[in-house]
Amino acid sequence: MATKILSVDDSRTIRLIVGKAFKPYDCTVLEAGNGEEGLVVAAREKPDLIILDVTMPVMDGVTMLTKLKEDAELKAIPVIMLTAESGRENVLQIAKLGVRDYLVKPFKEDQLIEKAGRCVTLLKRAA
Amino acid sequence: MNQDISQYRELARRYGLGGTPESVSRLTQLVARQDADVDEIVRVIEKDPGLKARLLRVANPHAENAAAYDIENVDEALMRNGIGCALLLAMGTPLSLALVKAFQAMLSMNLEIVDVNQLPGLVGHHMLCSIGFAGKVTGHVYLRMSLESGKAIAAAITGLAPEELGGDEIRDAAGELLNIMTGNFKSNLCDAGLDCKLEPPKVGMSEDHHTPVEPGGGIERLGFRVGKINLFIDVTANPFTE
Repeated sequence: MATKILSVDDSRTIRLIVGKAFKPYDCTVLEAGNGEEGLVVAAREKPDLIILDVTMPVMDGVTMLTKLKEDAELKAIPVIMLTAESGRENVLQIAKLGVRDYLVKPFKEDQLIEKAGRCVTLLKRAA
Repeated sequence: MNQDISQYRELARRYGLGGTPESVSRLTQLVARQDADVDEIVRVIEKDPGLKARLLRVANPHAENAAAYDIENVDEALMRNGIGCALLLAMGTPLSLALVKAFQAMLSMNLEIVDVNQLPGLVGHHMLCSIGFAGKVTGHVYLRMSLESGKAIAAAITGLAPEELGGDEIRDAAGELLNIMTGNFKSNLCDAGLDCKLEPPKVGMSEDHHTPVEPGGGIERLGFRVGKINLFIDVTANPFTE
């Protein structure tokens, strides 16, 4: 069964890049444009990994992460934060909430795959 | 606080996060201090020849070259332009580097930092992206480019063919580029104790943009080029008040 990755970012550009990065692998990439949508998709699809932006309209990534960790069914899903902000306070706050990893924009697709590969099994798609 | 810093260093090492450039960090920390000693600020600027040259250039706006400067030292330049202006100029460096890094990492392009006067001026309809920052330091970052440059950036960043790109994709890519740059800018300011928040980016079109500067405020103009892509960035900071 394909690995399910949920990309939560208000930027379509970033969601496209995330989708492109996982294209060579046996993955299904799901998308959400903010934390509220992200929680709905996470509850419905139970992804294997969530890649989460911080600053988003409607519901930001920190709020989504907090709610995710409060939900018994979703709290075990590994989360990689993908954000342009690497300020000390941000990183400390997010680390306390329990993220698996943190990737600062700008990023290379290889970096994302390397970090994702530490959280889930990524198998190359059959040619 | 010290425990926070050591925890952050450990997390930064584990996550592979980059640090703030030393000179920017020192200057912003000095400016953030209530009892900032101007002599110390002068010493930090004196040690950075690039920053000193830019500060003197801004302090002598009508001089054609360094030989024609009325204001020749950092002390006088700070008296004339204020500490906020020096901070703004210092922040231009990480802002520029963040953009160059974004192009290398996400577009596989080597963006060159150039004197903005070397670039052909933007005339007519062009893209204008802006983002405001508010807190102890307030101001705006403006990113301008031709629609052709915007299309080339969106195509490179998304991997879509130019004919697949609509206005939404082009605007979103430009806005995300600005977001990445200013996120880095904000992190540097916050880490130095100058807490600030970013407003959501605005992306639109303009005919004859003129960057507004508040009386007593500063502006830093930056230029970038790669292939046929030319980018213009203006950073404005309002007068610094503690």
